[in-house]
Amino acid sequence: MGKIFRYECRRLLWNKFFIGLAVVLLLYGALVLHSVTILGVSHTAPFSPWSFGDYLSRMMLLLWLGMLFFLTFYTSPQARRAAILMDATPMPPKQYALARCAAALTGGALLTLLCMVEAAVFYGRMFHWYSWGSLLLPALVTLLPALVFALGSGWLAGQIRPWLVYVWMAVPFLLAALPLPEALGLWNGSFFTAYPLTLETLDPAFTVPEVVLLPQGIALAAGIVLLTAWQNRYPAAA
Amino acid sequence: MKTMRLFPLELRRLLQSRLTWLIMALTVLSPVLGLVLYKPATSTTMLSVYLANPAMAGGVAGAILFGLLAIFELDRARRSRVDILTDAMVSPLTTALTRLLALLTAAVLTAGLTMLVWLPISAGLIGSVFTGANYVLAYLLLMGLALPLGILAAAAAYQFTRRADLSIVLFIAFCALSLTVWADDWQLCWLNPCVWALSDDFSNFRVFRSVAWMRLTWLAALAGVWTVSYLCIRQYGKGMFGSLARSVRRIYRPAVALALLAFSGTAYAAQPFIDQSNPDLTVMSFYEIPYAEGVTFLGRSAQVFPDTAAGTVTGRASYRFQNTSGQEQSISFGINPGYAISNVQTNGADVPFTVSDYQEYNEALLEVTIPAEEEVELTMEYSGFPQESMPTMQGGKELSSEYLCLENSTLSPRVMNVMPGEAGYPAEIEITLPDSMIAIPFSSSEAEVISENADGTRTWRYEANSAGGILYAGDYICEQIEAGGMTIEFYYGRKHQAVMEEAGAVDAVKAVVDYCTEHYGTLSFGTGETLKLIQSRVAGGGYAVGGASLLDEADFTIANLGDTDKGVVPGEIFIHELVHQWWGLGNMFDTSDSTSPWSSEGLTVYTTYRIVKELYGADYAQQYYVDQWQQVVDDYYLNFYVRHPEYLEMLPEAERLNIAGGLSGVRRYNEMPLKILKAEQLVGGEEAMDQILRGLFNRELDPMYPYLTYQEFLDTCHLTEEDLNLG
Repeated sequence: MGKIFRYECRRLLWNKFFIGLAVVLLLYGALVLHSVTILGVSHTAPFSPWSFGDYLSRMMLLLWLGMLFFLTFYTSPQARRAAILMDATPMPPKQYALARCAAALTGGALLTLLCMVEAAVFYGRMFHWYSWGSLLLPALVTLLPALVFALGSGWLAGQIRPWLVYVWMAVPFLLAALPLPEALGLWNGSFFTAYPLTLETLDPAFTVPEVVLLPQGIALAAGIVLLTAWQNRYPAAA
Repeated sequence: MKTMRLFPLELRRLLQSRLTWLIMALTVLSPVLGLVLYKPATSTTMLSVYLANPAMAGGVAGAILFGLLAIFELDRARRSRVDILTDAMVSPLTTALTRLLALLTAAVLTAGLTMLVWLPISAGLIGSVFTGANYVLAYLLLMGLALPLGILAAAAAYQFTRRADLSIVLFIAFCALSLTVWADDWQLCWLNPCVWALSDDFSNFRVFRSVAWMRLTWLAALAGVWTVSYLCIRQYGKGMFGSLARSVRRIYRPAVALALLAFSGTAYAAQPFIDQSNPDLTVMSFYEIPYAEGVTFLGRSAQVFPDTAAGTVTGRASYRFQNTSGQEQSISFGINPGYAISNVQTNGADVPFTVSDYQEYNEALLEVTIPAEEEVELTMEYSGFPQESMPTMQGGKELSSEYLCLENSTLSPRVMNVMPGEAGYPAEIEITLPDSMIAIPFSSSEAEVISENADGTRTWRYEANSAGGILYAGDYICEQIEAGGMTIEFYYGRKHQAVMEEAGAVDAVKAVVDYCTEHYGTLSFGTGETLKLIQSRVAGGGYAVGGASLLDEADFTIANLGDTDKGVVPGEIFIHELVHQWWGLGNMFDTSDSTSPWSSEGLTVYTTYRIVKELYGADYAQQYYVDQWQQVVDDYYLNFYVRHPEYLEMLPEAERLNIAGGLSGVRRYNEMPLKILKAEQLVGGEEAMDQILRGLFNRELDPMYPYLTYQEFLDTCHLTEEDLNLG
């Protein structure tokens, strides 16, 4: 199991596409940090959890895309051809799917880490600010549900039709363009710019109201359910 | 022949590669970088923002991408270790030439594709001032020609080194050199041309000529370097020098390389665009030339013939002097360094003359010795391509059938060391222009048509009284507006007609001139009866002389007229820009302290508000001006950097200046008008404030420091800075 996971990780992460994706992510991150985050959102510091959350919301577009891109490794024509051989191996399909899923999640986590490290370096270099602990909560609340849901739903989409994964990549761009209700503010980033202004205090501490937490919890749960429900199959078999 | 036979095969192979299509697709997309990230053209005209910047960004990205593709393609056989086999089949020299031609063809296809894709986008973004000629020239010169330069440079690097990694490093370093160290040297920045602005309303041939010259200079240079590298392509198992020795046996090959390099060197040295003016702008030695003893000026005339197709000027000038010294005298003239002087005669006889190599403020020194006769008539002919002084702000000497501006010694040689006679410096200027152009002397003089010529030109004549003088001419529309007790002649480019009409320009001019004349007084540079308002080609600012004032076209772009910081609707932005004739030109402000909110903008925005209040009512003005200022200022005081300036100080200079610039804009456009409004309330209302502003506008100026300061404003209001705090 561990060996397969390592192999899948290597296949996913040690190639020019991952490197290219990481480079694009870093360049886009630098652009966002230098042009938007540096100004701070809602009168807060550029290194406040609110500004950091806004940065992550903007980066989520590419992270979502990257996460689904990893899944395309399992839905490509080559992977589908190889699936026949894989099916013939004594490896339980459930474990194999789990290993692949974990590898994709690792890839997503690495990209996320890259974004966060880039922001941390930016804060250190620009403001000599190093209290990174305060940024974990917005990162968890923003990214974890979204990326787990991306993986679960992408996995499902890939099983239905391989090309659906590509269509699914457009979802965050659509969400960013739509006027979402306040409860879904974390999905288009509006929460970080609008909510602090309603708290009527300068530099408010980071809090998330229940009405916003609820959809995040649902998304996280849905992602986990989709992953576990379908892990006995893998998309390539579709 | 073999090359031509292999070329279609190589091109087909190249176009079947997915990498080629990826590079082509990225290049086609790359102009988007010019809209969001890379903006070398700093002007705010629509063509600068939506055409020059995307085209230049496309050029930079495309050249780099195609350079990398060239290295990848040239290294393909070696990377696959089949070079020994392929070299046995086809000469490596033939292969290199074929590959180069295929890459260049792919670049041409990509440039064409980019132009097709961006045509509707650019037309949509630019709006009514979009023209096909500007679009095609911009994409061909600013982007298209960059691609072959990238290919030639990268291919040469590979052919010299025969190593992909090393040639990539060399190529990237060469690109970086252009983007950094050479960025401000218009002849060396091969990747990113020095284009700071493209005009919306008038032609841009001068800028395009300059870019074309730079591109062709580099094209010849890099083609020469590529040819030398081509001679170094390894053959017969020999090293670089052994292969070179073998390749040069066919003498035409090194001859072509040398010819290309020599052509490039000549083009570099003999560029006709930029003069050699002393870069130290504190030196004004031409103004220190002593006056010729006993010589006075009686009059001058000039016949000027601009060639609007070639961008050159030919002219004849005649000067009449009275020489009472009884001796020969040396008369000094300032001439444009691009002009050649000929046929210099005094009273019909040839006289010697010299033109200095030293140049200053866009002038060279012409010295002519006049004889010891009491009345001297000096005539001369001049012709050439007018040169400019500022390589990073080219375009000022635009000369086409749409626009020209001939200033001082560019119009005709300017006398520098002769005392004025009883009548001053009387001058009679005649200029022959295409019949679509109107001649507008930048003074109170009026030009009139004296002849309509058979070749579709008209000759204009006007009289002036100065040693120099400025003449604008172009495809202008003139609106005569009676306002403020005088006639305003408002000249604007024909291409801008739709924008001006949408902005209600004529009504705005009338409203502003009426209001400001009544409330503050007449403009000092008006003659009392007439005032010319001339919209100039983008020049980086306006200026005024007696009887005429210049409006920079960049202030009247569609985008600027939609800037809600300056007003709510385009007509109000127009009012704002015109009010600058009173606060900005009529009264100047010292802007050296960038942290101070006091500038011409505060009084201009306040005056715009007052005019709008008079035109549309108090509720409208309150809602769209005062309330908006208040909201922006409230946000400003809550801004993190305003509350914690220590963090602003921590930032690197570029970021700090960017943020400080934004905050400073808020202060100048919103905080200061609010403060002036508060001052208005404290001094007793609008009428009292009008009296104060009238007094300030008409105050006696100190010629050493003619600026209106915040302290003067406060003192006149009998207020202190603290009185106007808004917190």
